[in-house]
Amino acid sequence: MNAKAETSDACDLRFGQVGIACVRVRRVDAAALCEELERRVRAAPAMFARAAVVLDLSHLLNLPDDGAVDALLEAVRTAGMLPVGLAYGTSETEALAKRMGLPLIAKFRAAYEPAAGGPAPADEPAPSGKAKSRESAPAEPDLREPILSASAAGTSIGAQHHLGAVRSGQQIYARDRDLIVTGAVANGAEVIADGHIHIYGSLRGRAMAGAQGDEKARIYISDFRAELVAIAGQYRVFEQIPDDLKGQSVQCWLDGEKLLIAKL
Amino acid sequence: MTAEIIVVTSGKGGVGKTTTSASLATGLAMAGKKVAVIDFDVGLRNLDLIMGCERRVVYDFVNVVHGEATLKQSLIKDKRHENLFVLAASQTRDKDALTQEGVEKVLEGLSEDGFDYVVCDSPAGIEKGAHLAMYFADHAVVVVNPEVSSVRDSDRILGLLASKTRRAERGEKPVTQHLLLTRYNPARVAIGEMLSVKDVEEILGISVVGVIPESENVLTASNNGIPVIVDSNSLAGQAYSDTVARILGEERPLRFIDVPKKGFLQRVFGG
Repeated sequence: MNAKAETSDACDLRFGQVGIACVRVRRVDAAALCEELERRVRAAPAMFARAAVVLDLSHLLNLPDDGAVDALLEAVRTAGMLPVGLAYGTSETEALAKRMGLPLIAKFRAAYEPAAGGPAPADEPAPSGKAKSRESAPAEPDLREPILSASAAGTSIGAQHHLGAVRSGQQIYARDRDLIVTGAVANGAEVIADGHIHIYGSLRGRAMAGAQGDEKARIYISDFRAELVAIAGQYRVFEQIPDDLKGQSVQCWLDGEKLLIAKL
Repeated sequence: MTAEIIVVTSGKGGVGKTTTSASLATGLAMAGKKVAVIDFDVGLRNLDLIMGCERRVVYDFVNVVHGEATLKQSLIKDKRHENLFVLAASQTRDKDALTQEGVEKVLEGLSEDGFDYVVCDSPAGIEKGAHLAMYFADHAVVVVNPEVSSVRDSDRILGLLASKTRRAERGEKPVTQHLLLTRYNPARVAIGEMLSVKDVEEILGISVVGVIPESENVLTASNNGIPVIVDSNSLAGQAYSDTVARILGEERPLRFIDVPKKGFLQRVFGG
């Protein structure tokens, strides 16, 4: 009986989900970062003062050196927030995090590793909203996470199918592929895919497509009653489901940084 | 011939698991089956009260699991039905006193003694006691009240039944799921204060095996130590009889799910 419930252990070690703010650094400019964060803290002190945040350096073309990262961390502290780690690591970020003595916080860490350190695929879309903040083109290879769904033609590994309902408390993750669910996704259930998500029952729980950052991923739902939908980290929560969408079949996609939902 | 194991579970507390276990076990016994009903709620022993045998508990489930008493010594014969036996929980221990091997041994022992059905009354929650109650099950009766938190917890339980049971682990035919809606009040459903049968079926994606109307008789029966199914005059008792018949494979239409029609005088004077 290998599934014996053993309750006499000294502790439980579990991965939980906690709300944590992510500071996505667009420029290596500690003073500007401090100023911007201070403004946010002042605007919503209850939410941001002493909030735990992770520093996301993945949107910088080149990983800054240790001194610059120290300055960024100090800027976050000065602004009144508490940096607790670095987010979204390539192996470089991981090494940096080790040197800084900080944890690397990423949902699917191993999956972020680029193949053999090669540059990101050439057909990677350049989101227009981010182009402005980039510095002049570097000679080094782009270290940002590769967008895995943009793989070469003919390497498709199909979709992952889930027959029937996804019950409350269950989590389904389709790594590197699309996810197709033929039943309902209950309140408190989570379906996640690196590609698109199709749900042919009602979605009452959460659906997260493009979990590794694919901004082209979409979510298709036959009966929309979601708690949350997210694409490439941009999410929307629904405290109240809009009347015009409730119970409708909808699709969700990303337009720049805006998550859009429309009836099919 | 091995005994069919039925777990009565819900996730949420206070929805009527023990009431249902008592009536289900009694109903199966009334249908001529040899039935044992086991209280898995170690530390919060209730089933013996509802079954009206609390003063006859000498040895309990934990004693048998630990080999301190034999099954024969611990099984309490019901005073109304001679083919119905109760295995009480221990009030002085906690859920950790149960082990998977111990529970398996007890269930095998009951099979060997020629029992047709073993009804396992699960504790609330999804921790060890609830896990062990459902682990060996062939059938599950998931008790749900027509309100959102109960429905959500039942959904969680349905997920666990499909993944954390022996049948699931061995890749055998899945546990047969029966959804039982209790404390149903058609009048409150009609004015939108309660979820309807249809709402619950839609959210959970399975159909109900029975609907037990909210009724004062349930409380009275429980307090008197009589499973409500014995009271054939009460609506709840009749609804439980229907449910047991359906679990045994009979087809019966759902009753008591609509607001009772008011008589002429009541309509005139507003009853």
